[in-house]
Formats: sequence, structure tokens, C-alpha cells
Amino acid sequence: MTADQYLLEIKNLSITYHAVHPPVKAVDGVSLQLRKGESLGIIGESGCGKSTLALGIMGLIKQGIVEGEIIYKGQNLVGLPEKRLRNYRWKDMAMVFQNSLEVLNPVLSIGEQIGEPLRAHYNLSPMEIDQKVVKLLEMAGLEPEWRHYYPHQLSGGMRQRVLLAMALSCDPELLIVDEPTTSLDPASKNEVLQLLQKLQKKLGFAMILISHDLGAVKKLTSRVMTLYCGRVVESGITSEVLKNPMHCYTRGLLNSSPNFFRYKDLWGIGGEPPLGGSIEGCAFYPRCCQGEESCSQTRPPLRYVALERMVACHKGGIETFLRAEGIRKKYILKDREIEAVKGVSLEIKSGEVVALVGESGSGKSTLAHILAGVLPAGAGQVFFKNKKVEGRWATKMLGGMQIIFQDPFSATSHRMKVLEVVREPLDIIKWGSKEEREAEAIKALQKVQLPVSPEFLNRYCYALSGGQRQRLAIARALVTKPKLLIADEVTSMLDPSTQANLLRELKGLQNRHGFAMLYITHDLHLARKIADKVYVMYRGEIVEAGVSFEIFENPEHVYTKRLLREAFRDLV
Amino acid sequence: MEYLFTIWILVTLNFLLPRAMPGDPFLYMSADEGQEVARFSEEQRQYYLEYYGLDRPVAGQYLSYMSDLLRGNLGYSLYYNEPVSTIILRRLPWTTFLVIAAVLLSTVFGTILGSISAWYREKWPDKFLFFCLILLSEVPAFLLGLVLLFTFAAGLGLFPLSGAITHFANYSSWWERLFDILHHAFLPVMALTIARLGGMYLLSRNSMTTVLEKDYLRTAWAKGLPKKRIIFRHALRNAMLPIVTRVFLSLGSLVGGAILVENVFAYPGLGHLMREAVMVHDYPLVQGIFLVVTICVLLANFLADLVYKKLDPRISDYSGIHGG
Repeated sequence: MTADQYLLEIKNLSITYHAVHPPVKAVDGVSLQLRKGESLGIIGESGCGKSTLALGIMGLIKQGIVEGEIIYKGQNLVGLPEKRLRNYRWKDMAMVFQNSLEVLNPVLSIGEQIGEPLRAHYNLSPMEIDQKVVKLLEMAGLEPEWRHYYPHQLSGGMRQRVLLAMALSCDPELLIVDEPTTSLDPASKNEVLQLLQKLQKKLGFAMILISHDLGAVKKLTSRVMTLYCGRVVESGITSEVLKNPMHCYTRGLLNSSPNFFRYKDLWGIGGEPPLGGSIEGCAFYPRCCQGEESCSQTRPPLRYVALERMVACHKGGIETFLRAEGIRKKYILKDREIEAVKGVSLEIKSGEVVALVGESGSGKSTLAHILAGVLPAGAGQVFFKNKKVEGRWATKMLGGMQIIFQDPFSATSHRMKVLEVVREPLDIIKWGSKEEREAEAIKALQKVQLPVSPEFLNRYCYALSGGQRQRLAIARALVTKPKLLIADEVTSMLDPSTQANLLRELKGLQNRHGFAMLYITHDLHLARKIADKVYVMYRGEIVEAGVSFEIFENPEHVYTKRLLREAFRDLV
Repeated sequence: MEYLFTIWILVTLNFLLPRAMPGDPFLYMSADEGQEVARFSEEQRQYYLEYYGLDRPVAGQYLSYMSDLLRGNLGYSLYYNEPVSTIILRRLPWTTFLVIAAVLLSTVFGTILGSISAWYREKWPDKFLFFCLILLSEVPAFLLGLVLLFTFAAGLGLFPLSGAITHFANYSSWWERLFDILHHAFLPVMALTIARLGGMYLLSRNSMTTVLEKDYLRTAWAKGLPKKRIIFRHALRNAMLPIVTRVFLSLGSLVGGAILVENVFAYPGLGHLMREAVMVHDYPLVQGIFLVVTICVLLANFLADLVYKKLDPRISDYSGIHGG
């Protein structure tokens, strides 16, 4: 691919606003390529530099320093004098500005504002301009009469169409669209998106769509780029990135978008973007759920981690905690041989809640036991953080893997006291002093909403109720601060309120610390509420796997369909 | 309708105010300048009071005043012994001329300088202009008039010392007459213009700076329009809105300034006349002047509304479609 085939190529673009102290680097070393007719989405939170990038491409940065190259059709636009830049504006690259009352001149009529670039660039006569304005308004789905009106007389949706008509007046080859759907009601939002899609198909312009509305980006773009603190942290094919984000930030954006995970709770990204200044290491490190001290040392380069996918992360994107390949397990009962697990492969990434669903007896529990290393596998391998799970090393450490068994009565010894049960995992690995271990144990008990009075701590387990025993088992698992929790029907014995509180606690851990969980359940309501990924198991096989919003919205396998139909029947 | 009501209130105030003033017009009528010795006997005083209707109850005076007004009769000057309307009509054009010239000049130059300042904001042209004009704006008009009078008229002899026109002059052509008028008017107009320039400059600088930061200006730049069009059609057009308001609203205070300046230059306008009328308690004349001035100011406001509607489409249209 040679450079001149690109319509627009941006190389290492940085834009620094120096009017504020300290100077803010709003765009920091961004590179991108755009071919004719292609569409690129740029996503990120407000203030991540999306709009600055757009203005930078248009050459509209007034109080800032622009470094790098913006090559349009082989001509570098950076540093070009205003006079020559003027020839590119609107004729070659136009912009649909973010909709606001002030984006159009309040004292000039709509028609004049749409038509004036035509006069400026093509020197058309007033008659010709008027004809073109009529055409443009019609194209944008507005009646031509509106050209005699003024901006304040339009509704937000109409203004958006006017902005679009105005941007297309000189048939640009590149259209930059900044937040086309903010402040629009759902109906006009859809109309505007459809219009953009239709016009792009018809007129063939290349498009850069800047939006924090991931739905719009998914609909309109083929490639997408995530911007954070002015840096590109992930780029790839839109459908792939939105289905399977590989940078924690992109995933955070997705988790914050209600239009993807309809049933899941919304979880924003914790913390705030750093204020200005140039950051030494990874800009996302303070908010990242898998960040380590070393991340703050150097800046991660943007590298390929998969086909057509680039991520800027020291860990190569979201880490894979657990990987299982071709797990098989046979039980021999008298003369019968039961194949409980038939070649299952699965993957659990950092910060993911993976639901393993299926009816009783489908082999879920067996699989869980094998994954945790409790049961030996008949065949296949399990890796925890890329290291093969053999023996107990993965469960015998802080920040490792823990399993909570389905039956709390056999999981916690009834002859031990509450405090001892919870402390035991720490005792085994000989972590800290006894006092420290007890303090940790008490914290874990608080997390599962169990009392921590001395009287309760010294109670023997046989004196506890089923729900308390189950919570105790969970506390015992959490005390080693595991990175991965395999939870086998753990909340089945809890009342709804305790269950909700516990799950929120775990979700919180997930979002803050990248805690991951394999949640084995037959409660699909719950799975739909909390899961990011879903594996459907049927007769020892994984019959369907994928992102939860896809599985729950569009199940493909017959069994999944049946399962969902049964489970959600009471809702319909 | 609103204007009619306003006029009624003003006329009534106009009627009441002079009567609330202390002093007696007949004292001045009969006294030599500088002296306050009454030469009228009590009978003569009584006669005049009756003659001018000043002995009637206030309500009666008010009614007849109003009915006279409606017929365009402003009364009869006690001091000049002439109909008030005649005197005022003779003087009005001079003041109008002064005020309009000063408004035009100060607005045009103030806007130009303010726009230059806004364009080069925080750079040296802005800093220089800002300093000079702030300094100028602090000087009151009459003081400025005095300084101009002493340096250019009395000192250098470039301009006449007083009056609006050379008395008893014969002009060979209309433009020679015009030149004489302009020659006389130059210093008073300058005084008024310079006194107003600072305010206009600050306003337009502010207004232009605000407009230059607006999103629609960025839109205009993005469209690759010629610089001239961006400045005049997009920026100035919007920046003019507060300036126009200010121009019309400040007409009233400008008349005040004109009074002082006219007195400095002995310019035969309404201001000069008003001072004389007040000094001698010539009620009908004072009332007449007040009335004419207030009506002029109201007229200006009315005009402002019209112009504003033309300039800003948002004003004329409250019934527009406002959508979410």
C-alpha cells in the first residue's frame, strides 16, 4: 500500500494548546489513514481530543501548536498559509459541526449560509446558488422553503440536517462529522444516521465520524479508533472492536453504553482522565483495571495484536487469565462410561464475567472442577495467566484463582469456627502474621455482609444457616484476593437482597481491579444481568459461545434458543 | 401604544416639574441681569399671573396645557415674548446636526478601532488603542470642549470661537455656506465625538471579541470563505447588534452632553437655549424644550426597535418554531 493511495494520511499528529498553563496536549502522536470512500469512527470520552483532532485536520486550531503531518492527496497541510488552506476547506474537506444553536450564524438566513461557500469557491451566480441550495436542502430531507428562515426558527433535528446540507454544498471528498446525534431524540437520531449512510453511499465521500455514541459508530463506520488523552489506544475493524475490545478503555466505553448490553448494569470507567501535561507512561494506567507499576514508566506503543487490530498496552491489551483447550473427562460408573466433558475450550479475560449456562447434568460443575485444578482432566490443558495449571499453584497464591463449590456444607468444615474457616487459605500459604490474616478475614466477611462480632467469629460452622454457610464459603474464597473466581451456583442459597449486594460487590471488584469470574448457573436472568460473555453447555459440549448481548439477543443454536425460551417465558 | 402612554407620562411630568421649582419667573422678567430686585408692583404681578393663567388651579392649568399641546401649541415664552414652538424650531436643527454628526462619527470610528483591537487582541495594536481610548473616555465632554476651544480656536485661530454660522455673511454658493457651517461645527462635534469614542470603542471591542470566539465564526472559517466576508458579513454583522442598541439608548445622554458643549462653544442649539430658559424660569420654554427632547429620544427608541428588527431576525420572530 503506497502513501498516495490514501485520501488522507495523518502521521504523528500532535496538537498542544499553549494558552493554558500547563499547556495541554489534546492530540498526542495520532496517526491514521483513510482511503477514498472509507469511513472511520473515532470514539472516546468527552475531552479525549476527538474534536481537536477534527479541527486540526481542518486547520482550524487557533491557539495551539500543530506538529506532525496531515497529508491530503499527497499535500502536507500542516504549516500551509491560511490562503492556500482556504482552497481545501469545504471544497475538499468539509465538516458537520457539533450541533448547537451557535454553530450557525444567527443573523443570516439558512439559504445564505448553505450557499455562500458556493460563491466563495465556484463563483456561481445568485440564481445558480439558489438552485443548488434547494437541491441540497431536498437531499438533506428538508423542504426548500426553509432556506428563507433563520437558525433560531429550526428544531435541533432540522438544524442537524442544515449542517449536513451545508457541509455537502461543495461536494467534499472528505466529510468530518462531529457528534451528529447528540441532543437529538431517538427518531430524528435514527433519521440523521440513515441519511448519513444513504448520502455516503450516493456521493461516495470518505467520512470520519466522531462520536461517543457507539451505536452510531457501529452503524456507519467500517473501522474505528479509540482515543484516550489524545492518544490512540486501540484501532481495528468496527464490528470486531465493538464485539471484542482488546483495550481496557474500549471495553470500559462499551460497558458504559446502554445500547449494547441491554440488561446489564451500566458501569462507567472509574477515575478521571489526567489533566493536561504530557504523561510519561501509559495515560490510562491510573484508571486501568490491570495496570501495574511498570505501566507508568514508559509509553506503550501502538502495536498489532491481531489481524487488523492495534492496541497500545504494555500487556498487549486485555490479559487472558484462563485458557482451557480440549478438556475432556470421563466418569466410569460400574459398566457405563459417561463422557461428562467432551473437548471444551474456553477463555476468560481479565475483568470479564463469563457465564457458563446449561441445564443440570450438562457437565458444568465437572468442567469447573477441572479448570480449578481440583479434578484432573482426562485430556486437554488449562493455563492460568499463560502458565499451565498443574497441582495447586494457581489456587495457592494471593491474586490467583479460587473456586467456590456449589455445596457450602461440604465446602466449609462444620467443626471449625467462622474466623478459622475464612483465615485458613491464608494460613496455608503462610501469609503475614496471624493478626494480619485475621484482619483480612474480617474484611472478607464484611464484603459478604456477615457479622464480625467476636461472638459470631467464634461460632462453629454447624451453627450457621445455609445462606450463612454459603456466604462464608465466598468470604473464604475472597480472602486471598483472587484474580479469577470460579463460582459454581454460589448464590443459589442466598436471598435476593444478599445476592444483589454480593454480585454488585463482585462487579465492583471486576471494574476496579480487573477481577474475573466464571459464573456457573442455570439462572439465566442473573446471567443476562451480569455476564459479559456466555458459554452455553449442552451434554458436555459448548454449543454456543460469544458476547452476552449477541447470545441473549440472537441465539443461534437450537439448544440455546430453547433454553432462553424456557427461562424467559415468565417474562413474556 | 406603549409609546403613547410613555409620552403622556412624560408630558405630565414635564408640566409638574417646573412648577415644583423654587423661584418666580416675574422676578427675572422685571429684573436686570445680575440683579434680583422686583420692579413690579403687586398689582402688575397679579395682572401677569392672570394674563398667563398662572393663578388658576393646577388642574385647570394642566387641562389647558394638554389641550394646547394637542393643537401643537407649546405656549408663549415669558422671556422672549415669542411662541415657544417658533424658538425651538429655530434652534432644534443645530442640536440635531451636532448630535447626529457626533453619533455617526463616534460610532463609525469607535467600531473600526474596536474591531481592530479585537482582531489583534492582546497584541500591540490592541494594547496601544486600549490605553489611548481609555484615557480619552475619562475626560468629560465639556472639559474636552474647553481644551479644544482654547487650543484650536483661541490659541491657533483655526476655528471660530462661537456660533454656528458667520453672522451677516454673504455666500456666493451653497457649498461655501456649507463650509462655513462645518467650520463652525467642527470643534463642538469633535468634542462630543471624542468624548463618546471611548465608550463606543470599548463596547465594540468587547462585542467583536465575543463574536470572534463564537462557534459560527469557526464555521465560517471552516467553509473557506474570503476573509473580508468573514469579518464583515459574519463577525461585524453580529457585533453591531449591541452597538446599535447602545447608540440609540445613549441619545438621551448625548443631548445632555450637547447642552454642556453648546454652552462652551456658544453654539445656538437647544442646549444653549435651555440653559437660558432655566436661568430665567421661563416655564413654557423649559417645558417646550423638555418635551421636544423627550419626544426625540422616544423617536430614537422607536427607530432602534425598527432597525434592530431588521438586523436581528431573532427579535422580530417570537412565534418561531422552537424544537428540542
